[in-house]
Amino acid sequence: MVGLVTAQDAILLFVFWDLTAVASYFLIGYDSHRRDARANALMALLVTGISAVLLLVAAVLLYDEYGTFSLPLLFQAAEPGALVTTAGALVAVAGLAKSAQVPLHFWLPRAMVAPTPVSAYLHSAAMVAAGVFLLGRFYPLIQTSGILLDLLLWTGIASMAVGGILALTRDAMKQVLAYSTIAQYGYVTFMLGLGGAKGAVGASFYVLAHALMKSALFLTAGAAAEAGRDDRLSRVGGLARTHRALAVGSGLAAAGLAALPLTVGFFKDELLFAAALERGSPWAAVAVGSAALTLAYVARFWVSIFLGPPQGTARAVPVALVWPVVLLGGLVLAGGIVVEPLARLAAAAGEATLGAPAPAEPAYHLDARAVNLLALATYALGAALFFTRARWAPAARAVAELGERGGPERLYRGALRGLNLLSDRIHDVEVRDLRTRVASVLVPAGILVLLGIWVTPTGGYDPGSIGTADIGLVLVLVVATLAALATAMTRLHLTLVLVLSALGFSLAVAYAFSGAPDVALVAVLVETIVALLFLGVFALLPREVLRREARLKTSRSRRWRDPLIGLFSGAVAFLVVWSALSRPAPEASVAGDHVRLAPDAHGSDVVTVILADFRGLDTLGEITVLAVALLGIATLLRRGRTT
Amino acid sequence: MILLFSGVVAVLFGTGAFLMLKADLFRVVVGMVMISNAAILALIGSGLSRGAAPIHPLPDDRLSDPLVQAMALTAIVIGFAVTALLLAIAYRVYTSHESVDLDELSREEVRRERELEREEISP
Amino acid sequence: MRTILTETVARLLVAPAFAVAAAILVKGYADVGDGFAAGVVAGLGVLLLFAAFGARATHRVLPVRRAFAVAVSGLLVALVVGFAPLLAGDPPFTHRPPPEEQVVKLGTLELISAVAFDVGVFALVLGVVVGSLDYAARVRKGDW
Repeated sequence: MVGLVTAQDAILLFVFWDLTAVASYFLIGYDSHRRDARANALMALLVTGISAVLLLVAAVLLYDEYGTFSLPLLFQAAEPGALVTTAGALVAVAGLAKSAQVPLHFWLPRAMVAPTPVSAYLHSAAMVAAGVFLLGRFYPLIQTSGILLDLLLWTGIASMAVGGILALTRDAMKQVLAYSTIAQYGYVTFMLGLGGAKGAVGASFYVLAHALMKSALFLTAGAAAEAGRDDRLSRVGGLARTHRALAVGSGLAAAGLAALPLTVGFFKDELLFAAALERGSPWAAVAVGSAALTLAYVARFWVSIFLGPPQGTARAVPVALVWPVVLLGGLVLAGGIVVEPLARLAAAAGEATLGAPAPAEPAYHLDARAVNLLALATYALGAALFFTRARWAPAARAVAELGERGGPERLYRGALRGLNLLSDRIHDVEVRDLRTRVASVLVPAGILVLLGIWVTPTGGYDPGSIGTADIGLVLVLVVATLAALATAMTRLHLTLVLVLSALGFSLAVAYAFSGAPDVALVAVLVETIVALLFLGVFALLPREVLRREARLKTSRSRRWRDPLIGLFSGAVAFLVVWSALSRPAPEASVAGDHVRLAPDAHGSDVVTVILADFRGLDTLGEITVLAVALLGIATLLRRGRTT
Repeated sequence: MILLFSGVVAVLFGTGAFLMLKADLFRVVVGMVMISNAAILALIGSGLSRGAAPIHPLPDDRLSDPLVQAMALTAIVIGFAVTALLLAIAYRVYTSHESVDLDELSREEVRRERELEREEISP
Repeated sequence: MRTILTETVARLLVAPAFAVAAAILVKGYADVGDGFAAGVVAGLGVLLLFAAFGARATHRVLPVRRAFAVAVSGLLVALVVGFAPLLAGDPPFTHRPPPEEQVVKLGTLELISAVAFDVGVFALVLGVVVGSLDYAARVRKGDW
């Protein structure tokens, strides 16, 4: 997360973005023995991971146009246009999916299978906030396009409505909170969509305030489930009598979320109303409606847990579960009285978002200004909603059911099943024959290369010159060619290996003739070892196995196909190598520098100096490959014994 | 010389590809070795100059390009590691399936998969 | 495969094989050959012992089972030599002594950090060659 928020580079941002997704995958799937935990973790990973790819696509699009991945430079260079709009839309979708906004919200309630502290962290601070953070980070791009702002606006409204209504219908505490998170981040998206200084500051302030209150409520849910022995709202109640501190702490947090005065939550709604009013009164009405929904479900949450008749005897709760709630509740209250520090932080964040100064002066005004009137309207509407909940509960439940029937989650499951089927089908086709797979790589690759050569002609093909000094080299290369052709003819494995080493040794001689004694030496040694390895493995196998392979007849369908594919690949390789060798690089090459600098490195053999000094990292990589190969061999042979 | 180098590389690559299409697992490994040989030869052939070995004190006439030699060395070593690993894999395939014939192996894999599917449908 | 001839040849050749390996290693930086070639030559020497006297006798003479440890320590030596300059603020693979200084020589062995790197490569390659042969031999004997 720290990496994510400090990244100044789009690619880096993408990497950290994916890292948070992967981390949350493990956190959600913490109870890995539970099937639903695994499936839901996978859902979270897929939804956020696939949308992360969109972020990458956007970054590449922007890079292609402006030639930089650096965010500040991009924001300077970007001009309004179709390209920036497209990239902005991709970024927006990525951010919205991560923030669990409608219609990509379904993963978040599912992710509630995670342990409660994880949920608290994911919701209030990390995962979900990362989504709106991304929106804020790319806001300079997004705000260039009215379409994108409208997209944010409507997504926010949809999320507020869906999240609010569903939060009212859920019985499990964490589900209520999950939908509430969707609705709350809907607010943030809505404010970003409203645009302008007030929207930006409001969004930042909202994220801050929400983090405090939502983690308190999540921890409350955990503690209450512990105390009441059940995590369903209908099965707990009256906990206020036995758990006074918990009730007070979470009450403060709940009051904050409901935007009651004297809590930091009041200001979040004040900023919301201010931003909405600036845009127009219909938007203000939307804001009031959703704030009232919030009030109603928060009240339902708190009242169901702490008031009403007690259900069974309450268990004592460890102090460690209570004091964080009280502390966070206290912070909510403190923020409601002294709002300055938070406001300054939000103003700074808003300024970074907008790229322009963004003043924010949240304060109490004891007069009949519009913002206060809206707040009063919210309280009235919310209270009305809460007290008449028996009337409209069936309707809300019907909406929830409708969403489950035809909602995006169903689409997700369908798509997953379809993809599984498709992959099975491809696997079926592919698995049947390794060699078809090789052939199906070789031939299309050859055709593609030919197309490439045809489309971008390289100019001349130079046959080169042969001097009298080259006769040895020519002869050896001819021997190598003959040996290579002979490998295709041999039947017995022993002969095959001998012909292969003949080929290797003749190539080694060719290297020696080319003025490469180092390469020749190593080639001879490697050829020896490889031949011995082949013979060693042959010695491990029963004789009949190899004999049967040697006697095997090629099937009729392959008799012509395989040599043709071989010929074709050889011809393509010929064209590629010839055209490459015909165009030597310009005169000034690194090689000259290497030759000149070798004495400075206290070495005489330029090649070994290159290996150990100039290009030492290459050598390090190479020997690492060796070590890994040894590890692989050890593992494979050991397993071979035990099974 | 260029033409000759490309010709030899082409023959190596072509026969390597041909061997990789065989059913015998060991021929596939040999094919891989040949293709990596082709790559190394192409590397050596792409040297900007051919002549004496680049060892100080330098001779008067032309030097061979040392850079491609260093790269070829790296390629040879990695080729060696890959070959050893492939042989171990081939042996492992033999111990678990009693066969080094790809046709047989793929037939068996299909058969096993069918069995698995049948078990899944009617447990 | 164990005949008097092979045993005699093996006895005669093992010591020279190690001597050649050592020579390649210490001469490596000045002339043809490097840690890799030295490692393979030494590995071939061990292989000769395997072929002539069998795995058991070889195990008695040489700590063959340590091959993996040798390989890993070689990799570590190479890593340390390669990246130690980072501690001094230099790019990786900045070798000591620097160009303008004189090299301390012990006979033909030159004390350059690049030679230490080569020794690491040598140990790794020796470990890989001997190790893979030894694993194959052990598979044969069913001796894990």
